[in-house]
Parts: sequence; C-alpha cells; structure tokens
Amino acid sequence: MLEVREIRKAFGNQEVLSGISFSIEKGDVAVILGPSGSGKTTLLRCLEFFEQADSGEVLFDDIDVDLRNVTKEQIKAIRQKTAFVFQNYNLFNNKTALENVLEGLVIGRKIPKKEAEAIAKEALDKVGLSDKYAYYPSQLSGGQQQRVGIARAIALSPEIIFFDEPTSALDPELIGEVLATMKKIAKEGTTMLVVTHEMSFAQDVANKIIFMDGGSIVEEGTPRQIFTEPKEERTRQFLKRMLPEYTYYI
Amino acid sequence: MQTLDLHFMWEAFFIALSGAPITLLITVVALLISIPVGFFFSLIRLNGTPILDQLCRIYISFVRGTPLIIQIFLIYNVMPILLERFLRSTHSTLSVFDVNPIWYAFVVFSLYTIAILTEVFRSALKTVQKSQLEAAHSVGLSTCAAYRRIIIPQALVTALPNLCNATTNLIKNTSLCYALSLREITLRAKVAANPGYNYIEAYIDIFLVYLLICSLVEYGFKKYEKKLKAYQCLSA
Repeated sequence: MLEVREIRKAFGNQEVLSGISFSIEKGDVAVILGPSGSGKTTLLRCLEFFEQADSGEVLFDDIDVDLRNVTKEQIKAIRQKTAFVFQNYNLFNNKTALENVLEGLVIGRKIPKKEAEAIAKEALDKVGLSDKYAYYPSQLSGGQQQRVGIARAIALSPEIIFFDEPTSALDPELIGEVLATMKKIAKEGTTMLVVTHEMSFAQDVANKIIFMDGGSIVEEGTPRQIFTEPKEERTRQFLKRMLPEYTYYI
Repeated sequence: MQTLDLHFMWEAFFIALSGAPITLLITVVALLISIPVGFFFSLIRLNGTPILDQLCRIYISFVRGTPLIIQIFLIYNVMPILLERFLRSTHSTLSVFDVNPIWYAFVVFSLYTIAILTEVFRSALKTVQKSQLEAAHSVGLSTCAAYRRIIIPQALVTALPNLCNATTNLIKNTSLCYALSLREITLRAKVAANPGYNYIEAYIDIFLVYLLICSLVEYGFKKYEKKLKAYQCLSA
C-alpha cells in the first residue's frame, strides 16, 4: 500500500536520512524504533510533507511521488489518505474537542456538517471522551488531549495514521490510556506507522519493527525476530539499553 | 483672578465634539486600508523573499523613524505637485485645488498605520506555533483555510491589546490634521477659542473629547478581547 524508496534528507551538511526504503501493507502496525537523533521523526515528517525530502520516491496506492519535484496536488492527495498524531498533540487551541475533530471532516474532507458531527462524536466516543465534547484543549489533561488527537485522526478514516512519539510528552501515569487507545484502533485493523519508545507497544501490538540508527534502517522484521534474535549488533545494544535484562521479583 | 469661563467651555465642548465625525472617518478609513495591507506585509515579513522583507523593513523604519507631523507636511506639499502633473498628463479638467485635504489625511494616516500594524500582526502571528499549521495541513486544510480558521483567530487574541493601542494612538494623532486645516476636533475648538482667548477652556474640552472617544474604543476592545479569549480563560 505504502512504499518508500531511498528517501534522503539533509539539514545543511548534516545528513539525517541517508536512503530509507521500506513498505507497509494494509492492516500493518509498523513501529519504528531507534535511538534519539536517528531520523525517525524526520522520516515521518517527510512522509506527511512537513519537511521537504531532498530525494526519494513515495508510492501510495496509485500515487507515485518523486520527492525531488513534488506538486501541491500530490501533497494534497497524499494528505487526504493519511492522518498524523503529534508528539505535542497540536490540537487547535481555539476549538473544542468536538470542533477539533470536525475541522478536518467539514473543511478538509467537505463532509456535510450533520453527517460530520455524527462521525466526530463516534470517534470521540471510541477514545473514551464522550463527556468532553465541549471542552477546550486548555481544559483537558495531556492524555485526554492526545486522545482527542487520535480521534481527530481516526475520524478521517485515513488509509494510514502516522504516530510521532505520541506518548513522549505525557506523564507516566497518562501513557497507559493513550497506549490502550492506540491498541484498540490497531485491533480494528487500522494501518499505523508508529515512532515510539514504548517497548511494550512494539512487542505486543506491532507486526513489524523497523530499527533505525544514524539515518538508515539497520534491520527490520517481526517483533519476535527483532526482540529475540536480532541480527545486528547495533539493534542488540539498543534493545539491551531499552529492555532490562534481568527483572527481579522480590 | 481669572476663572474658567464655564459657559464657553460647555458650548465649546459641543463644537469640539462636532469634529468627531471627521476624526473618526480618518481613523476608520486608515484602519480599513491598513488592516489588510498590514496583514499582507506581515506575511511578507514572515514568509516572503528576503528582498521583499527588506523593502518592508525599510518602509517601516522610515515611517517609525520620522515625526508624523513631518510626514503630513511632506505629503501635503509633495502630493499636489505629483497630482497636478498626473492631471495635466491626462488632460483632466479637475484642479488640484479642488481636492479636499481629507484625502491627504487618508494617505498619510494609512501609510503610517500600515507600518505600525505590520509589526503588530507579525509579532502576533509569531506567537502561534508553527505546529498549528502542520496540524491543520494534516487534516486536509489548505494553508489559506488554516490561516482563516486556526491561526488568525489565535493570533488576534494576542494582537488585540496592541491593536487597541494602535487605534487610540491613531485617533489622537489625527489631531495633527489641523496642519491640513481639516476641521476636526482640535481645530474646531481652537478656532472657537480665538475670539475670546479662551484657550485653556478649549484645550480642556479637546482633552475631554479625546478621552471620551478613546475610552469608548478601549472599552469596546476589552469586551471583544474577553469574547475571543473565552477558550483560554476556561479551566477544568
């Protein structure tokens, strides 16, 4: 469904992505792991065209985009098929939870207001915020804001949702509710590409792990392959740091 | 000892007040022109090419770095010459001397307010995080729709106090229009004071009229700000 070929991106002389290629099938829950500064977030931002990649190719269903010369229509067409969940939620501060979800439906997708409202409410119900329709972002906790962010994404019924470290800005006690919501929508068959440091999510929910380091993909495989028998030394070292080797039960 | 001529003061107050429509007309026209243009210039300053940005900056520093009264004199003396040449070249029957000086006031105060508002809008737009635009793009809004529905409403909240400031300054600055012999508040009161040398009374009247107008404007802005700010003040 989504195929990425040889994406390259440099900020000045600093090469951040040095030729990334991978593909995602419908229904996949792919998790990108890797140390900070390995280019995970930049990769996602290039796919949503928040950053302009220097070169490479993106194939999305029947849309074929050469990243060297992207047209506005191509960007629009791809954004119609995708949704994005941000690290810092990025809810529209001047809109209520319901309006946040409605905005993309009514203005972005041109769905009639009444129909859109039903879809938006259903999305908010799904993330467990049926009592917060009229709340502004400033009145919601971080976890609630991020769940509105997820509702805003799923309401659009995109082909794929990009998650950019969706729990990194949250208090530890609020991470659970967001991960549970993500797990729920993954179980419903939503295609997801997730950048995260939550190993439990990668292990339990993902069916594909992409390990990145230094701007390139070091190895990819199923969670089982990556977590139990990583082929590359760099993957092993990263996992060793992220997963405690011994667990003491006292 | 001389005392204030209260009777004159009472009458002159209404004479001064009768100039308010001209003051307000200049203010409104200047604002109507400079709000869209200033907004456009602020976008150039934030996202435009370096050359256009530089041109805006030069324009702004010219306007801000020179006394308004000199700008008024300049326009008042230069514009008729240019206008006359233009009229002659088009073989128009119109004469420069038929031009109501209020047109010069519109030009000066618009040019002046554009510069002020460009900076007001620029700083306000900068307070809205770039990620709001990204979020809008991600749900399929065009940049134009994102500005209209997400970014401008948020920027307006921060811009409003400065906008209020700019408006009241503009109202007060129109008193300089006496230099164009426009019969606005200041000139009317002064003329009324001439025969009896009641200048102190006239100045107090002028003072009160501007205070009244500016207080009303401030009140209006405060109300509007409160309304716009609704989404920030609420807390769970």
